[in-house]
Amino acid sequence: MAPRETVVCIGCPLGCRVTVLRDRKGNIAGLKGADCRQGEKYVLKELENPVRTLTATVRTGDEGFPLLPVRTSRPVPKALLAPIMQETVKVKVRPPVRTGDVIAKNVSKSRADLIATADWPGPRGEG
Amino acid sequence: MAKRVDVAVIGAGPAGLAAAIAAREQGAENVLIIERAEQLGGLLPQCIHNGFGLVYFEQDMTGPEYEKAFMDRAVDMGVETQLETMVIDLDEKREITAVSRKHGYMKFRPGAVVLAMGCRERSRGAVGIPGTRPAGVLTAGTCQRFVNIEGYMPGSRYVVLGSGDIGMIMARRLTLEGAKVEAVVEIMPWPGGLIRNEVQCLHDFGIPLLLEHTVSFIHGEERVEGVTVCRVDAQRQPMQGTERLIPCDCLLISAGLIPENELSRRAGVALDPVTGGPVVDQDRQTSVPGIFAGGNVVQVHDLVDWVSREAEVAGRSAAVFADKGRAKRTAGIKVVPGKNVRYVVPQLISGAGDVTLHMRVKEPGLSARLDVGGVLKKKFRSVRPSEMIVLDLEGEALRKSGIKGELVVDCDTKGSG
Repeated sequence: MAPRETVVCIGCPLGCRVTVLRDRKGNIAGLKGADCRQGEKYVLKELENPVRTLTATVRTGDEGFPLLPVRTSRPVPKALLAPIMQETVKVKVRPPVRTGDVIAKNVSKSRADLIATADWPGPRGEG
Repeated sequence: MAKRVDVAVIGAGPAGLAAAIAAREQGAENVLIIERAEQLGGLLPQCIHNGFGLVYFEQDMTGPEYEKAFMDRAVDMGVETQLETMVIDLDEKREITAVSRKHGYMKFRPGAVVLAMGCRERSRGAVGIPGTRPAGVLTAGTCQRFVNIEGYMPGSRYVVLGSGDIGMIMARRLTLEGAKVEAVVEIMPWPGGLIRNEVQCLHDFGIPLLLEHTVSFIHGEERVEGVTVCRVDAQRQPMQGTERLIPCDCLLISAGLIPENELSRRAGVALDPVTGGPVVDQDRQTSVPGIFAGGNVVQVHDLVDWVSREAEVAGRSAAVFADKGRAKRTAGIKVVPGKNVRYVVPQLISGAGDVTLHMRVKEPGLSARLDVGGVLKKKFRSVRPSEMIVLDLEGEALRKSGIKGELVVDCDTKGSG
């Protein structure tokens, strides 16, 4: 038997634990445990294509400001989180950077860019 | 000689910035923020994750983005700042004593003060875990600073004690950075943080959440080598025979936050034993006239958005006080936590004018009916201790109810959440 698949709805603080019922072909046959229609919609969306905004940092080489915080410009499929993290290691960033600047384009072919979430005017040196 | 300012704000985190901006908007001419760190923003720069600003800006922002929005405003409004300056004393006459490497010993005499010192994490000592004292035991917030600001990884295999929001967020962050998080261990039967963090930080990465469990021993001489995890009984005491060893090289502690009120105490501000913060009225004035408070120094909030809103009230009231030399009288009615309500802030209200009540329940429950002294009743599908309840109470309804003395807030629930 396939492991019981449950998805927790985060639409409200209720946090319904929704069980996903599947037929023999693996298609979704129904949902059990959602308290409202919004919850069911959320779970179906989660099953079809779960997306998340990834936040991370990239190295600057500046001792006084070693890391620049970044995020994806839009939510990306969950499966791309790890590949994008691996890409952030290789990203080279040059000052000056303003919040919202694109740091890397179309990371891991996600159609999302990495954008800066803080300003980095330039080397601050140590301390 | 003491320097005179209209409003002095102690702390430059989200509360301090919002309070200072609001004080300027209210017309206070010189507003000074005193901050011990070398930069503004408090802890926001290290909170690189998203989920900020959903209430305040109706936007999904990261910590640094949220901080920038307020910092730019503060600069535009001409708020003065005194960085790398530690306030060492505040007295009941609102005189501030501070020290800095650059300016030495300083005194300030403000027309009004806003306390915005935030909170600090409970550490290993506060939790009291037996074992040796090896390297590799740190709070989740310290780890967050290492990983997100300094660029160091404190370990490669982690156990997190406590399922507070910072602990769960760090569990995700460390996993994304290539570390292994063995488990998040929570002593209560329910998670300590927001449901969205349980889902997006733990479920997404298959990190086990062990409810009704605790860490009963830390192993290792020089460095953490593992922790003993065991079940707890209904009294939250470790149960013999349930112990198991989880090998790891780092233990993160995320066991709750405590409002930072050493200065408040020095000034003789009355503290609420439940919130750990000052007793405040609806203008966020403390028991000492002219001393106001807002943000996590008053109560530990779940969302930074509420921190900003509360601090704005404190900032506006401080500006009015600095101008008039006194506050309008607001403390007439005591707000009393009743059934399944742990606390309500503000603790004192006037009975006139709109007021926003913040509260937390003791235990989770479904189909909750909240009753504010018969003046306001509201239903909630569910309530949880980790999610603050925010309620707007209309001054008109309050006035009409004719309530005097006490306003009791009850929360009836059906079943557990």
